[in-house]
Amino acid sequence: MEEEIRQILAEHGRLPLEMDELDNDTDLYEAGMTSHASVNVMLALEDAFDFEFPESMLRKSTFESVTAIQAALISLVGAPVE
Amino acid sequence: MDETLGGVRVGTDLVSVGQVAESVARFGDRYVDRIYTAHEISCCRGTPAVVAAGLAARFAAKEATVKVLRSVGHQPDWRSIEVRREPAGWCRLSLSGEAARMAEEQGISELAVSLTHEGPMAAAVVVAVCAGDEE
Repeated sequence: MEEEIRQILAEHGRLPLEMDELDNDTDLYEAGMTSHASVNVMLALEDAFDFEFPESMLRKSTFESVTAIQAALISLVGAPVE
Repeated sequence: MDETLGGVRVGTDLVSVGQVAESVARFGDRYVDRIYTAHEISCCRGTPAVVAAGLAARFAAKEATVKVLRSVGHQPDWRSIEVRREPAGWCRLSLSGEAARMAEEQGISELAVSLTHEGPMAAAVVVAVCAGDEE
């Protein structure tokens, strides 16, 4: 799941840094992700994991880091099967 | 950018028209319908480039409004911030739902918006009269 999140951030997050420079707790907005880019990240996550974010989770905090996105996904679609 | 001078707040935002065009091409109606109201969509017709420029200006207006609302952490539904185009051609903001509640909590009594786009960029400026900021 973390790898998929990182791939989506690389493709849609328009971050001015490489993914291997990004810690899981790095604040993505402080790292340069715009609100518009976060919309694309949200839609790409929905495509990848086949769900739709409820309005209650459309908060900046939901998308502020890899860790936060992973926590949101687990709460919505469950933990990945090992 | 968000400055408060007395009872006035100003928010501004700049959006890439090309990035909006890419979002429309990639996500289609899912992108458009999650962000823009039916009225806003109806105001942005024409070639893909014209549509993208209009949508980008409206996204900038929504983000500029979020800045004057000073939301901490919470993002109101993008569609609760609507750019209404009047028959005479000028635009105004119409807030509903959570955005309207946030404006009320902040003591914002009036909002004004100006949109522009040129080439690859679109921008908007929002001015709010805020009773809560008066000293």
